[in-house]
Amino acid sequence: MNVVRDENQSFVVTIEDTGESFSCQSRQHVLSAMSRMGKKGIPSGCHGGGCGVCKIQINDGAYETKKMSRAHISATEEASGCVLACRVFPRSDLSLCVIGKLQKNILKKTDKPL
Amino acid sequence: MGVMRISHINIRVLDMEASLKHYVNVIGMKVVHTDAAGSVYLKCWDEWDKYSVVLTEADVAGIINVGYKVENNADLDEFKQRITDYGTAVEDIAEGALPFVGRALKFSIPSGHVMYLYADKEYVGTDVGTINPEPWPDGLVGAGVHWLDHALLMSEFDIDKGINRVEDNTKFMIDVLDFYLVEQILVGPEGDQQLATWLSVSNTPHDIAFVGGPINGLHHLAFFMDSWDDVLKAADVMGKNKVKIDVTPQRHGVTRGYTIYFFDPSGNRNETFGGLGYLAQRDRPVTTWTEDQIGSGIFYHTGVLNEAFTTVYT
Repeated sequence: MNVVRDENQSFVVTIEDTGESFSCQSRQHVLSAMSRMGKKGIPSGCHGGGCGVCKIQINDGAYETKKMSRAHISATEEASGCVLACRVFPRSDLSLCVIGKLQKNILKKTDKPL
Repeated sequence: MGVMRISHINIRVLDMEASLKHYVNVIGMKVVHTDAAGSVYLKCWDEWDKYSVVLTEADVAGIINVGYKVENNADLDEFKQRITDYGTAVEDIAEGALPFVGRALKFSIPSGHVMYLYADKEYVGTDVGTINPEPWPDGLVGAGVHWLDHALLMSEFDIDKGINRVEDNTKFMIDVLDFYLVEQILVGPEGDQQLATWLSVSNTPHDIAFVGGPINGLHHLAFFMDSWDDVLKAADVMGKNKVKIDVTPQRHGVTRGYTIYFFDPSGNRNETFGGLGYLAQRDRPVTTWTEDQIGSGIFYHTGVLNEAFTTVYT
């Protein structure tokens, strides 16, 4: 794959679960690029690497990351491409699947659903 | 005698440089101290004590501890006795162990959140002083918030397992620390479970709040602003700085406050909380929100509880 450092370079990110794809510049994190396009394939939370809801597995492509919470991503996971979408900056086209999910409302087990 | 207000919150950040840009350029605080371990202490312009927010670099986000200021040192003896009588372990902390702070008590509330009480913190004065002061100082940066207003702590809540740390914390704050209940959300089959509570120890609608969730953690720390106009301008500042906004300017049904929820660069949720809402009083009847109206309680205009409210936290 072609790997470049131009911060305005655009790459295509594909979410394998839904088949949707969107473009992401190399200076943008994957979650921001997705949200700005109005897409919702990856759960969107704090966008700061802290809350962990946007956990993904990158199956193909090159990327750089910023620091993310070890409460949600272990060093082993990070090394194997299991990362937070809000801390991933593409350096090539990316293909990923979604691991994280917004937990359903904590009241789901009560008799009266919200 | 008694607790007066929130005095500090110590949170973990993933990237100190990015965090300082946020708390200085967006929130509008000033750095007043960096300790030997690298933690950075910040102050708002309208606060007179040395600092209110402490940032500690770590590999996770979230809260480390929160401190409340009491009126007199003698109050600490009384509270130490009460906390002990309640069956909670309490530790005496020597003067200076918390930088610029006098003797303190350290203990955990039922959810496990670590809390400090202390009476003395170095006085440095507000940016406008006390003699014929201007209403606000020149050179305010970003949102230019007045002061740290409150914290909302995520507290473990699992009806099936009979765990409700919101209720446990609320009881502790009332019975031991003389807070009083201002508002609550009641849920569950019998409508008798406190899913969230807002408690005051002053006349502001909340000095601390608790909301139920899967784990104990930090929901947000909030900063005070005067008016709706200030809240709008703060949102502009966030737009300019590409801050991730969770909920754009909106009214809370609970507390009637003007709010923006947004995230710091490590994902810790912040709030700019505008307006006093109302003058809370110890004899003011408690406001209750029912399970079917939670959405309006939290976000009054849309009436919709966004998914992130109970699922995104640090």
